[in-house]
Amino acid sequence: MTSGDFEEKNQTRWLEYEELVNRLENGKSVPHAEEMPRRFRELCLDLSLAESRMYGGNITERLNNLVIRGYELLYRTRRAGWEKVVAFVTVDFPQAVRNEWRLFWLCSVVFWIPFFVVMFSAGHDMRWVQAILGADGMASMEQMYGGKEEQISHLRSEYGSNFMMFCYYIYNNVGIDFRTFAGGMLAGLGTLFYLLFNGLFMGAAAGYVNHACNPESFWTFVIGHSSLELIGMVVSGMAGMRVGLAILNPGRLSRVRALMAGAKEALPLIYGAGLMTTLAAVVEGFWSAEPFPSALKYSVGTVGWILLIAYFLFAGRRGRDAA
Amino acid sequence: MEETAKLDTLQQVELAEGMGIRLRMAGPMLRIVAYLMDLLIRGVAVVAIGIGLTIAGFAIGPQVTSGLGLLVWFLLDWFYPVLFEAGKRGATPGKRMMGLRVVQATGSPITWGQAIIRNFLRAVDAMPLPTYGFAIVSCLATKRFQRLGDLAAGTVVVYDRLPAPPRVAFPPPISSVPVPVKLTVDEVRALGLFRERAGLWSDGRRAEIADQAAVLSGARGAAGVTRLMGMAHWLQEKRGGR
Repeated sequence: MTSGDFEEKNQTRWLEYEELVNRLENGKSVPHAEEMPRRFRELCLDLSLAESRMYGGNITERLNNLVIRGYELLYRTRRAGWEKVVAFVTVDFPQAVRNEWRLFWLCSVVFWIPFFVVMFSAGHDMRWVQAILGADGMASMEQMYGGKEEQISHLRSEYGSNFMMFCYYIYNNVGIDFRTFAGGMLAGLGTLFYLLFNGLFMGAAAGYVNHACNPESFWTFVIGHSSLELIGMVVSGMAGMRVGLAILNPGRLSRVRALMAGAKEALPLIYGAGLMTTLAAVVEGFWSAEPFPSALKYSVGTVGWILLIAYFLFAGRRGRDAA
Repeated sequence: MEETAKLDTLQQVELAEGMGIRLRMAGPMLRIVAYLMDLLIRGVAVVAIGIGLTIAGFAIGPQVTSGLGLLVWFLLDWFYPVLFEAGKRGATPGKRMMGLRVVQATGSPITWGQAIIRNFLRAVDAMPLPTYGFAIVSCLATKRFQRLGDLAAGTVVVYDRLPAPPRVAFPPPISSVPVPVKLTVDEVRALGLFRERAGLWSDGRRAEIADQAAVLSGARGAAGVTRLMGMAHWLQEKRGGR
């Protein structure tokens, strides 16, 4: 059979298939949509025939395009529903964090050790803290936490400023989470840099406030959202290190395969980190700066820490594949 | 055919249906243009939303306005490509303008997770900022023009529809000439391509190429061209089937 015969024999079938694909692509309700898989397989057969018989560019190109379009329609992934989101929060995410407990400790150490070292160094010698914060950093700490009374709630007194700060925390903190994850692509170095830098900077801020400002106004402000924000940051570090370690230690896989697998495993972690940091922004924007009594803020913040730790220890133990 | 001998950017992808489709990988140049288009679109969007927010600011207050502005900036920065590439068309508006699309290395549409991975890793691909140096080096070093985000997500950027190679009509051969010997599939393909492209070349060039197959056609120069065209026609014409 020559290519001309082949084309003539199958022309109507191809046109019908193309019509069907056009309609399905436009998302209209389509009669005979159930025929799509069968018609697709027929087209696949036609294409392989045309290929093996070398019918030339015109026909194979046309069939190739038709097959690709059908393939994309048939293999579209279904969007996740709300049940998926609930299952993620209650089961999948805490499980993913527990499964990577080694990375959790690694990232925690990389963040907390510089944090505490710099914070306590302020008691002996302020030079480290001064070097890290710089003149501007120290000035802004003074502005926020310098005085006897709670300045931060005065700074937030203008209408809408709580919302403004909430948006700023999303923009800045969630963005840093995502960058921390991306830094894993540099064999983990970018991730470690962000964790270390945040540890040093936050430790310096805490140390400076403890010795040069009004510590109570600082700690009552941060206690509420610190649990979500700091653990969220550590989790984004875990996501980055999952990717970084896949590059450094691919095991029996090829490096690219290991990278793909690592990135896939990192996904629940980065989703969760983004979610936690968003929640932290809500707390930081609308609760932390409100002029409530210190005792209330301390107790709410402590309960937050306990609940969050309990969540990661116990949530989703019995769900899904936890057996 | 050996993979290493390939000169074009077509990649054969094996489907579960037991046959292969060909995807044409998109190179860095086109993708840079698509990126610049997206940058322009995002820039226009930021300016338009900024103007809208400034006007709305008289009603909702300047603090709320700047907050919304930051939120918009954040979403455009991180989620603009994710939303479009995970969507139905698998491409940002810029990529669509350039006729490109993001697919899995297997040819199927990408998932949300893959869209997130490949676009969040942009932060590294763009380094050293803002040159996209890592992305370009990675594209040139990999077989399928994958930047780092593509490698991690297992995605490739392809031409949405294979653009038809330019063809210029050439007068159909007057007579069809039966081919005296059995040809290999590659030889049949070569004859078919010769016929399809003959219109692009000058008479001299056609004769020059046809002379390469003088053994088959048994003639040189213009006569050889005519005979080869006849043979190509014979191979492709309708003969009522078998």
